[in-house]
Amino acid sequence: MIMAAKRDSQLLDPEFMAKLDQLSLVSRKIFASKLRGERLSKRRGDSAEFADYRNYVVGDDLRYLDWNIYARLERLFIKLFQQEEDLHVSLLVDVSKSMDWGDPNKGLYTRRIAAAIAYIGLVNFDRVSVYAYSNGLQYELVGVRGRRLMFKVIEFLNKVEYGGPSNLAAAGKQFAIRHPQQGIVLLLSDFFEKDGYEEGLRYLLARKYDVYTVQVLSPEEIDPPLVGDLRLMDVEDDDTAEVTVSRALLNRYKRNLEAYCGGLREYCTRRGINYFFTSSEVPFDQVVLSYFRNRGLLK
Amino acid sequence: MSFLSPMAIAIAAAATIPPLVALYFLKLKRDVRLVPSTLLWKRAVEDLHVNSPFQRLRRSLLLLLQLLVLIAAAIALGKPMLQTTESHLDTVIILIDQSASMNVVEADGRSRLERAKEQAKRCVDNLGDDARAMVIAFCDRATVVSSFDTDRAALKRKIDSVEPTDSSSTLGEAMSLAEAYTQNIIIGGDEAGADKPPDSTAPPASVFLFTDGRVQDSEHVALQKFALDKISVTNVARRSDNVGIIAMDARRDYERPEILEVAATVENFGPEPVTVDAVLYIDGQNVDVQTVRLEAAFEKVEDDSARPPRPAENRMGIIAFDDIEFGGSGVVEVVLRIDDALSTDDRAWTVIEEPKSVRLLLVTAGNMFLESILSSLEIEMVLMTPAEYERAPDDALQDGQHSTFDVVMMDRHSTERLPRGNYMFWGGVPLIEGVAAGRVIEDEVIFNWDETHPLLRHVAVETLQVYEWLKLDLPPEAVSIVDGETSSVIALLARDASQYLISAFSLIVDDEEAGGPMVNTYWPTTVDFVVFVQNSVQYLAGNAAAVGRRSIRPGDPVILPIPKRTRQVKIHRPDGVTESLSAAGYETLHYARTRRVGTYRAEPGLRGRDVFAVNLFNTVESRIEPAEALTLGAQSVEARAGTIEVNNPAWRYLLLAALVFLLVEWVIYNRRVFV
Repeated sequence: MIMAAKRDSQLLDPEFMAKLDQLSLVSRKIFASKLRGERLSKRRGDSAEFADYRNYVVGDDLRYLDWNIYARLERLFIKLFQQEEDLHVSLLVDVSKSMDWGDPNKGLYTRRIAAAIAYIGLVNFDRVSVYAYSNGLQYELVGVRGRRLMFKVIEFLNKVEYGGPSNLAAAGKQFAIRHPQQGIVLLLSDFFEKDGYEEGLRYLLARKYDVYTVQVLSPEEIDPPLVGDLRLMDVEDDDTAEVTVSRALLNRYKRNLEAYCGGLREYCTRRGINYFFTSSEVPFDQVVLSYFRNRGLLK
Repeated sequence: MSFLSPMAIAIAAAATIPPLVALYFLKLKRDVRLVPSTLLWKRAVEDLHVNSPFQRLRRSLLLLLQLLVLIAAAIALGKPMLQTTESHLDTVIILIDQSASMNVVEADGRSRLERAKEQAKRCVDNLGDDARAMVIAFCDRATVVSSFDTDRAALKRKIDSVEPTDSSSTLGEAMSLAEAYTQNIIIGGDEAGADKPPDSTAPPASVFLFTDGRVQDSEHVALQKFALDKISVTNVARRSDNVGIIAMDARRDYERPEILEVAATVENFGPEPVTVDAVLYIDGQNVDVQTVRLEAAFEKVEDDSARPPRPAENRMGIIAFDDIEFGGSGVVEVVLRIDDALSTDDRAWTVIEEPKSVRLLLVTAGNMFLESILSSLEIEMVLMTPAEYERAPDDALQDGQHSTFDVVMMDRHSTERLPRGNYMFWGGVPLIEGVAAGRVIEDEVIFNWDETHPLLRHVAVETLQVYEWLKLDLPPEAVSIVDGETSSVIALLARDASQYLISAFSLIVDDEEAGGPMVNTYWPTTVDFVVFVQNSVQYLAGNAAAVGRRSIRPGDPVILPIPKRTRQVKIHRPDGVTESLSAAGYETLHYARTRRVGTYRAEPGLRGRDVFAVNLFNTVESRIEPAEALTLGAQSVEARAGTIEVNNPAWRYLLLAALVFLLVEWVIYNRRVFV
């Protein structure tokens, strides 16, 4: 029996956090935000970085007149600067019962990734929101900003309880309603959705989020160590399946798993969603430091 | 397949199969394992179901295998028997042919009798637990080898004790014996020791007949007690190649008695033409060799017509050894140099005595025919009238108790004065016990005669016509040679070392109407009469002085004269056995253990009469080809070739199957464990 990971496991160690200090999140899209942040926006704003000129019209702030131009040309021009905006980074973490599974534990693994991404976001003054969902959103930590609030994120992630069935559609819908700001959405799940993952992902796509999906499976799911006549019981909904595990059945299972993951990847790729697959066996720092960087999420 | 104890199957199946099924479902109370999601598992299982229609079967394969094991074991407990046509028989009679043709050595090196005994023992093995069997061996007579017995080992020992003979085979006596025995089965009374009377409602007996189908009298077998469908004939015969001597004769030349002529008739009974060498031995010395070519027994049928093949004309040949110079007495033997199936008929023997002059006394009141014919023979003849004979002193007629003449011929004279010797009566009888002459018979014809008898050798009895003869009253041991409609015309009687050849008619009768002697028959004017007189004199005067002594058939009794005051006689048989017989007070010895062919010698014996030969000379036995059907009475019973099928206990194979099933189950189980 695969034991659930200890609740108080350390999500991030200081050495790893030091490495993360060097990284920042990259969004392939530039989003508008209410608060000014550390990122350049398409909107002209009041950062120190010059962008363009335009003719003065009555009512403009006289502080932005370019007096040098006026002296030379005797015409009034307003200096326009790039507006810097903050980046919304939302982490959607699957905390359904099935995630509290595997050796190494999938839940711990996804929380660690979430913590690392959240840390990178906080270090770069991004606005970080963490949502834990199972059958709908269960826990949320909204709009945290700044490195000093990292403890809140750690606390939040340590606090979540695993339980209930996974319902991405409900969670996606709630998230889309509550979180109108565009930004990066990182979805961490095993994507074993009995009703399908498509609807949930469609809600995220509709809001034009920059969506990253990370599918985490335990080694026991990739290569099940089962033999004999078994009654398999789903931890989430107590659904049972009577199987006589044979080589043929195992091969069939593996082919089905491959097809399922392939289907998810294709679904995501076609819709501009970045898809990662990882086993909880792969060291999570490797996933964060090299895998995500290679795929362009981090720089 | 049937079952000796079918209830055992039901009990075993009821006791084991429901618990197994129950245990199977208990055993399939599957271990519960938690998995993150059954999503993919369900899909995989569904996929497999779609792809493999036998998946459901596969799931319960172990149950199926275990059920098969149980079923096989349950059936095995029912004592299943394969080919059980012979089981559940209450009364079985086993008839084993031990006749000469059963000595044929078949291709596998075993004789037909050995094969028949083996088949019979298989038949015994097939007996049900409560069945009883009796064993009868038959040749020219039937012998109860074992009366009804349920002990199989004892029955098989008795079957083993059946010995080969060279006799002919007659089934009638054996069948009568079997019927008699089945009618008198004592089933056992209600109380200890109380026997039931013969029960006519005794269960019908089954008869198993082991033979090669060469049965002489099968068509005359009358079945009263046995249903034909209860008779099973097992034919043990395969080979049909045989060449045999069917007749043999040795004769001294009439004018030169020291010259011997030997003739043997040889017949080919096989399907192929043969060339065979016949070797003549006299007293074991090789004397001459002749070669004869014989065609196949039957003509080849060219087309496939159903017409039975005709016997070939040249299947028989006569081998003649002429001008053999041999003046003494001895055993003449003809041997065929051929390796055929039956060796019994490849040899024939006859005993020849040294030529001697015969002293004959003719007692007649005057008979032209006899006087002239006898005087023409090379014999020493003395003539007496009946009155002279009766008046003659004892010294003139007898030496001790024996006659001084080799042959005494009485013409129309019946007398009591008969010292031991050889007598021939014409129109009279010896006045001894059991023999009497009755009324005169007229207007009857002669219609039957034993043409094989040496007295009728070369005699055509068809020409014999007699006007009248005396009705003879003869004792049962008398042998009739020529028969009229109501009585014997010519008969031979042997008693107390004397032989009496009695002709009921005389050659001449006194006719009162004619007032003188009249001819009673014209026979004396024919050559046949001359030959008959010659035969009679030679036969009576020592049987074989000039002619090879008549050989007897296997099983026939023989009368041997023995010297006076002999206490014990040893008989040296051809199979090497010497029998000692008590002979105190007897002058002759009746010997009947002549089942094997060859020469028999009595010791001590009368010189010249101490050796006799037994020859097969039986075309029925020599024709060894397998008979496809045996006609019993008016109906034909198909002869089952091959072997009796034995009740082989089948439970071994079923238990073996159970083991194999268990092994397969074990392998499958282990494969599943280590996927």
